[in-house]
Amino acid sequence: MNQPSTNTPILSAGSVPSAAASARATQAQALKNSVQAAFNDPSDSSQAMFAGYSSKKCVNERYRIIGFISSGTYGRVYKAQGRHGQIGEFAIKKFKPDKEGEIQYTGISQSAVREMALCTELAHPNVVHTVEIILEDKCIYIVFEYAEHDLLQIIHHHNQPTRRAIPARTIRSILYQLVQGLLYLHKNWVMHRDLKPANIMVTRAGKVKIGDLGLARLFYKPLHSLFTGDKVVVTIWYRAPELLLGSRHYTPAVDLWAVGCIFAELLSLRPIFKGEEAKMDSKKTPPFQRNQMQKIVEIIGLPTKERWPLLTSMPEYSHLNGLAAGNPRVSRPVGLENWYKQCLKNNQYPDGQSPESPGADGLSLLQGLLEYDPHKRLTAEAALSHPYFTGPMEKPSENCFEGSKIDYPNRRVSQEDNDIRTSSLPGTKRGGLPDDSLIGRPAKRLKEG
Amino acid sequence: MAANYWDSTQRKYWTFTKQQLAQERRKNEEADRALVQQFPLPDRRLLSIHFNHQLCKLARPLSVRQQAIATAQIYVRRFYLKVEIRRTNPTLVLATALYLACKMEECPQHIRMVLAEARHCWDTTLTDTSKLGECEFSLISELNSQLIIHHPYRALAEYTATFALSAEESALAWSIVNDHYLTDLPLLHPPHVIAVTAIFLAVVLKPTQGGLGVSAQGVQGVLQSLSATMGQSSPARGGGAATSAPGTPGGSLGGGGGAAAQNRMMGLVSWLAESSVDIEAVVDAMQELLSLYEIWEQFTNNLCKDQIAKFVKARGLDK
Repeated sequence: MNQPSTNTPILSAGSVPSAAASARATQAQALKNSVQAAFNDPSDSSQAMFAGYSSKKCVNERYRIIGFISSGTYGRVYKAQGRHGQIGEFAIKKFKPDKEGEIQYTGISQSAVREMALCTELAHPNVVHTVEIILEDKCIYIVFEYAEHDLLQIIHHHNQPTRRAIPARTIRSILYQLVQGLLYLHKNWVMHRDLKPANIMVTRAGKVKIGDLGLARLFYKPLHSLFTGDKVVVTIWYRAPELLLGSRHYTPAVDLWAVGCIFAELLSLRPIFKGEEAKMDSKKTPPFQRNQMQKIVEIIGLPTKERWPLLTSMPEYSHLNGLAAGNPRVSRPVGLENWYKQCLKNNQYPDGQSPESPGADGLSLLQGLLEYDPHKRLTAEAALSHPYFTGPMEKPSENCFEGSKIDYPNRRVSQEDNDIRTSSLPGTKRGGLPDDSLIGRPAKRLKEG
Repeated sequence: MAANYWDSTQRKYWTFTKQQLAQERRKNEEADRALVQQFPLPDRRLLSIHFNHQLCKLARPLSVRQQAIATAQIYVRRFYLKVEIRRTNPTLVLATALYLACKMEECPQHIRMVLAEARHCWDTTLTDTSKLGECEFSLISELNSQLIIHHPYRALAEYTATFALSAEESALAWSIVNDHYLTDLPLLHPPHVIAVTAIFLAVVLKPTQGGLGVSAQGVQGVLQSLSATMGQSSPARGGGAATSAPGTPGGSLGGGGGAAAQNRMMGLVSWLAESSVDIEAVVDAMQELLSLYEIWEQFTNNLCKDQIAKFVKARGLDK
């Protein structure tokens, strides 16, 4: 089980089929047109103001669409270049209307509104930069700076049987930059709520950038408890135990748990807690995520009220006892330390603390992040001053590829965007390849209720 | 950003000097001169009072919180800084602003609910949710997607504790903050300045006499103390609106408890002098609010309603 090989084909450099070159070119051109067509809307806005909204900026006039990157519940992402000498490349996120083929304005979803507002407001080197937002022909486009890689893609690249682990210094730099971006978000009262490898971008220059603020929101004195808005947040494998146990007043600590999971995944090249998501029942009440909780418990053991005083007041607390019954892996957990040692051994990280190995400090940081009690869990600030980062070794590099000779493949960009209006499966679909959710990645997230 | 007003788009893009505001509006009016002349409108503050009434009327049955109403008011004010009001259907803009503000303030309302309530309590011809959805595009576009608003409420809550305000004073300060949305103050000063101003006014105003019981003498006293603190002896600075405020009940500060209240006020003044709060801005905000209370006497809802209806009907903006 858990063989990473199922994931390997995803991002391997695709072999080009050897069909007739000319036919291919024609076809490519046709597909190119279809990608471009995603940005052409037949409905015109010739009516007068207030009888009609017309955009001052046109996405097609400003950008040339190169291809399709990915799709999700929110809509689709395209790669683009500026038509007016704008520097660099861009990723344009086109939000899907609530209903496919919507020809009328229906009101913008709350998560799109949040994302637009947050993207406009935030600015930090480790958060994906928003270039502009274009509202045109009933569609919302957020134009981001382009990032060539993301952590999921980097993990997949190393996952192939012939390849080796991610260099320890790369991981250290990635984590340092990630937590810096997260500290900025938290200082500004923004919880990300959906951190996972696919949402952490890495530029060609090795700069790590937190992306996808689609679930992010402000947490300063919310008018409603956070629970009422979005019943379920964070992709299941990265979901913190307090969320799994039904906490209604969760905190930014949920993001730090996700960072812990990402750290573990960078080291071992597979998700540390790879549970199966229990689906929402017909009454739309979120079920207890037994399997996911079990995966956590199998490694780090059952939480205790000695270590987590508020544990017994968690709404789903009663489910915990049932986990141990008839499951020896729950009653005799691996232990995080053993898991870590085994992982370092498997991936041939040398013993001891060195630039080539995360060593004991790495374990200590991981334990601090994968702490059950959200109040005891490391904050972003505390994580940054952890010995793993501040110890005798030199400061983590601002370029995570520094000293690495690994040549990561460029992001796959496809022309196979047949029909923007109909073909969008949920999940993190990547260019031209099967939807991730079909090969074991959990569906991105549930939309808010 | 949310915690950080100083790096916010509100400070960077939506805070102006009075000259900048006047210039921007002059520019817009000149672009639509004929329209502006053909359809005269009441003072902007009176219109704002009318808008506020309308918003509150709509918000009540939907149980929308005050902060969302405040956010909606800011959206409307920013929007009309960029778009000539006579080109719009204000009813639609108000409903849309509230709909959008509810999403931003995390108390979302369904678009159909907003529309249904608007029809019910405003007696409008709005029937189509797609109009609201379309207007939302205009709103967000004119606002450049800068939708996160820093309100004075948070600072007010902190200061209320610092200065140990009584429940009445605190309630009055809160309603003064609510009132500042009827003026240009949200486009002129940072939220903490407004909070400080509200506290000063609450301490000199008399809560027992109901909302607008302005003590002209008391306010005059404060303005003078503040002017003195600023090292400016010019009486003109403190004068103006306060002394000429007609129709406001006179009487000395705090009735019988004058001396105690006076001490309290001096305490506030010296705190302010030592703080880094821009005193000049506080004085200005105070005067803006006092002149709002003055002009409020002239407010009649129907006048605003009629004058808006004139251009809306004539131009078919409600179609």
